[in-house]
Amino acid sequence: MSETENNLVKVTVDGQAVEVAPGTTIMQACEEAGAEIPRFCYHERLSVAGNCRMCLVEVENAPKPVASCAMPVAPDMVVSTTSETVKTAREGVMEFLLINHPLDCPICDQGGECDLQDQALGFGGDASRFDDNKRAVENKNMGPLVKTIMTRCIHCTRCVRFAQEVAGVPEIGAIGRGEDTEITTYLEASLDSEMSGNVIDLCPVGALTSRPYAFTARPWELRKTETIDVMDALGSNIRVDMRGREAMRIMPRNHDDVNEEWLSDKSRFVWDGLNTQRLDRPFIRQNGKLTPASWDAAFDLVESKLKGKGAATAAIAGDLVCAEGQFALKGLMDALASPHVDCRQDGAKISGPRGNYIFNASIAGIEEADALLLIGSNPRLEAPVLNARIRKRYLMGDFPIVAIGEAVDLTYKAEFIGAGADTLADLLAGKQSFADTLKNAKNPMIIVGQGALTREDGAAVLAAAIELAAKTGASFNMLHTAAARVAGLDLGLVPGEGGHDVAGIQDAAQSGTIENVIFYGADEIAGASLGDAFVVYIGSHGDRGAHRADVILPAAAYTEKQATYVNTEGRAQMTEQAATPPGEAREDWKIFRALSARLDVTLPYDNLAALRAAMYEAVPHLAQLDDVIAADAPVAPPHDGLGAEAFTYAVNDFYFTNPIARASAIMADCAKAKNEPKNRGDSSEGTGTDG
Amino acid sequence: MMRFLKMLFTWWHHQTLSTLLHTRRRGKLMGVDGQGNCYYEDKHGASINGKTRRWVLYNGDIETTRISPEWHGWMHYTVDETPDQAAYVKRDWMKPGQINMTGTKDAHKPAGMADTTGYADGYDAWTPK
Repeated sequence: MSETENNLVKVTVDGQAVEVAPGTTIMQACEEAGAEIPRFCYHERLSVAGNCRMCLVEVENAPKPVASCAMPVAPDMVVSTTSETVKTAREGVMEFLLINHPLDCPICDQGGECDLQDQALGFGGDASRFDDNKRAVENKNMGPLVKTIMTRCIHCTRCVRFAQEVAGVPEIGAIGRGEDTEITTYLEASLDSEMSGNVIDLCPVGALTSRPYAFTARPWELRKTETIDVMDALGSNIRVDMRGREAMRIMPRNHDDVNEEWLSDKSRFVWDGLNTQRLDRPFIRQNGKLTPASWDAAFDLVESKLKGKGAATAAIAGDLVCAEGQFALKGLMDALASPHVDCRQDGAKISGPRGNYIFNASIAGIEEADALLLIGSNPRLEAPVLNARIRKRYLMGDFPIVAIGEAVDLTYKAEFIGAGADTLADLLAGKQSFADTLKNAKNPMIIVGQGALTREDGAAVLAAAIELAAKTGASFNMLHTAAARVAGLDLGLVPGEGGHDVAGIQDAAQSGTIENVIFYGADEIAGASLGDAFVVYIGSHGDRGAHRADVILPAAAYTEKQATYVNTEGRAQMTEQAATPPGEAREDWKIFRALSARLDVTLPYDNLAALRAAMYEAVPHLAQLDDVIAADAPVAPPHDGLGAEAFTYAVNDFYFTNPIARASAIMADCAKAKNEPKNRGDSSEGTGTDG
Repeated sequence: MMRFLKMLFTWWHHQTLSTLLHTRRRGKLMGVDGQGNCYYEDKHGASINGKTRRWVLYNGDIETTRISPEWHGWMHYTVDETPDQAAYVKRDWMKPGQINMTGTKDAHKPAGMADTTGYADGYDAWTPK
C-alpha cells in the first residue's frame, strides 16, 4: 500500500495539484483534478487512438500542445487546460472537423445527443470561414440495424476499434488517406456481430445511427426509465425511452460488473416487439375460437375448471417472467396442493443447491480466470455481452480456452476438443491434456450451457461438470439463457414430492391425469403435446402459448412492472415501470392473487409490499438488490450415467428466442439479413438531403 | 354561500366581486351580444396605454373565446365603433363563433393523428387467428 503511495506522480492541473499512479494519461489526471477535456476518439473501454486531436492541452516546457489522451503523465508536470493556447488549439481543431461536416443537424438523428454539436458549442469558434464545397462520402451498407451517413463521419475510428477489440469481428476499417479517408465495411457486408448496435452509441456524431429508430423521435421528447433487460440471463442494465406508452428505443446503462456499457443487439432492438402482438384483454375459447371476454367471464371459466381439481392442475413458468409473479404462482399451486410446478420449460435437468445453477465466479470474475472450459455452451449467442467479457480476458493473453460442442466461431480462439459427453468423461478421467491445464491453473473456470442439460443425460452432464470442477479446483458456472430461471429455481419452482416436471406434465396431460395446465409466459412448448388439457395462458404477447390456450389472462411485459429478476450469477435486480400494461392487462402477481381468491385459496398478500415481504422471508437474498450472494459449493446430483451424443446449443435462432423477440419486426429483419448475406439492409432510402 | 365564496376567491366560475363593483362604479354599458355577454367602457375615459379601458362581463363561464366575433374587433381595439354603431355586416360565408375546445373531448383531431388512427395506446393488440 505504502509502496504505491510513494510511487504516485504529482501533477499540477490548472494550478491544482493531484497525485496519480504512474502511467496515467494526462486526460485521466485532468479528470481527477476536475478539469473537463473535450474528446471524440478517446473512449475508456477502447484502445487509445489519439487521432481527433480535440483533447489538446498545454504542458509547461512542451513545444506544442499535446494530445492528453495518449500522453502519460511525468513527475511534476504542469498542465493547463484553460490557457489561451488551449482555447485557440481547440477552436482550430473544431474548425477543421467542421470543414467537412455537413450542416444537417436539423435532419440528423444524433441531434440533441451529439458530441460534435455540444463541443462545437462549448469549444468551437463563433463563425465559419469556410467557403469551399464540402466533401461528400458515399454511405456504406452496415445491415438492418446500423444506418450510415458517412459524410458526417469525423474519422474518430471508435467503431473500428470496437469491432476489432470488443466485438471481435474485424470487419470495419478505414481506407484512403487524408481528406479521402473513409470508414467502410469490407465488401459492403453488414456486421456479423451480435453487438453491432454498440457502434451507434460509440459514434460521437450522426454517421452511425440506429436504422429502426431513424426519424422517429428526438431525445428530448422521450421519457427515460432505467431498468433491466430480460432478453438473456445476463440482466444487462438498460434505459427504455418511451414516448407516451410507446417504446421508442432501448439503450445500455453502465454496470461494470454486468454489461460494462455494452448491450446485445437483441436487447437493444427488441423494443418494437413491446408494441406489437400485445395481449390487452382476456380471451376465452368458445366453440373452438378465442373470443374477447371480460375478466369476470375469464375467471368464471377458470374457476369452473380448476375448483376442486387442484391436484390435477400443473403450472409451467416461462423465460421472461419475474420473481414476484413466480412467487405468487408457487403460492397458488401450494395452496391448491399441486406438486406439478416447473420453471424449466426447456427441460433442463437442473437440481441441487444454489451453487449448482448459478454463475459462481461472477461475470466480472471472468477477467481473473486463467483457463476456461466451455461445456455445451455457445456464449456468443447465449449471452453476447458475456462473450465480449471472455474475449476481453482472452486479449489480455495467457488464457487457454477449450470447448466441448459443435465447433463455432466464438470471436476468440477456442479449441474444440470434442463434440459430446464422451469427451467430458475423458476429461473427468484425466485422459485429456486440458485436465492438467485446468488443474495447474490458479483460477480455472468451467461454464456449462443449457444445451448440455436439456438432454436425456442432462443430470449426468451436470454431475460430471461439478465433479470435474471439484477435482480440478475450477469454479463451476452455469450460463442460463432465460432471465427468469435463476429466480424460479431460487423460489423453488421445481416439482414437489410426486410432482411432474415439464416432460412429465406433458405426458400426464396427454394421458389425462393432469386436466389443467397454467402457462405463465411459457411459449416454448408445443401446444399439441398437452392433449386435451385445459390451458390457462398468463402472459404479455400472443405467441405459441396464447394460440394453444383456452383462457388468456393478459399480463405485463418486463418494461411495465416493477419486478425482480435474478441474473445468471445470482444477482437480484429490480426493473422499473416504463409504461402501464396495455389495455386491461394487469401486473402478473395481481392476476394470481385475484385467481386465488376465486379458487377460495386466497394468497396472504394484497399489495406488492406485502408480497415482497413474504418473498424475502422465503428467499432472503432476493432482497439484496445488485449483490451477488456467494452460494455453497455445488453438489453433484444423482444420475443414470453419461450418454455419448454430441452437445447441441441452447440458442440457434439468436433473434427469435422469446415471444417478445418473435413479435419484433426488427428481429425478423436481422434474421433475414443473416440468412441472405447478399441482400443485407436497404440502402436505397436516401432523401437527397441526408448527405 | 358557496357562490359568494367562489366569487371572492376564484375568477373562472364567475366574475369576481371586485370586477362587479368596479363595473357598477365606472362601467358604461356599450352593448350586449347574442350570448348575453355585456361589454363595458370606462365612463370617465380612464385609459391604459392611451386607449380607453374596455372589458366584458361574461354571461356564464369565464372563457375569452366566448366573446362574439362581431364584438371581437371592438374588444381588441381594432375598431372603435361597437357592432350596433357601425354597420357590422355578417357575410353568408362567416361561420358562427365557437369557443375553444382544446383539452375537452370535442377538441379538433386532424386525420392521421394517432388518436384517430387507433394507435393512441402505442401498441398493436394481438388478435387470435
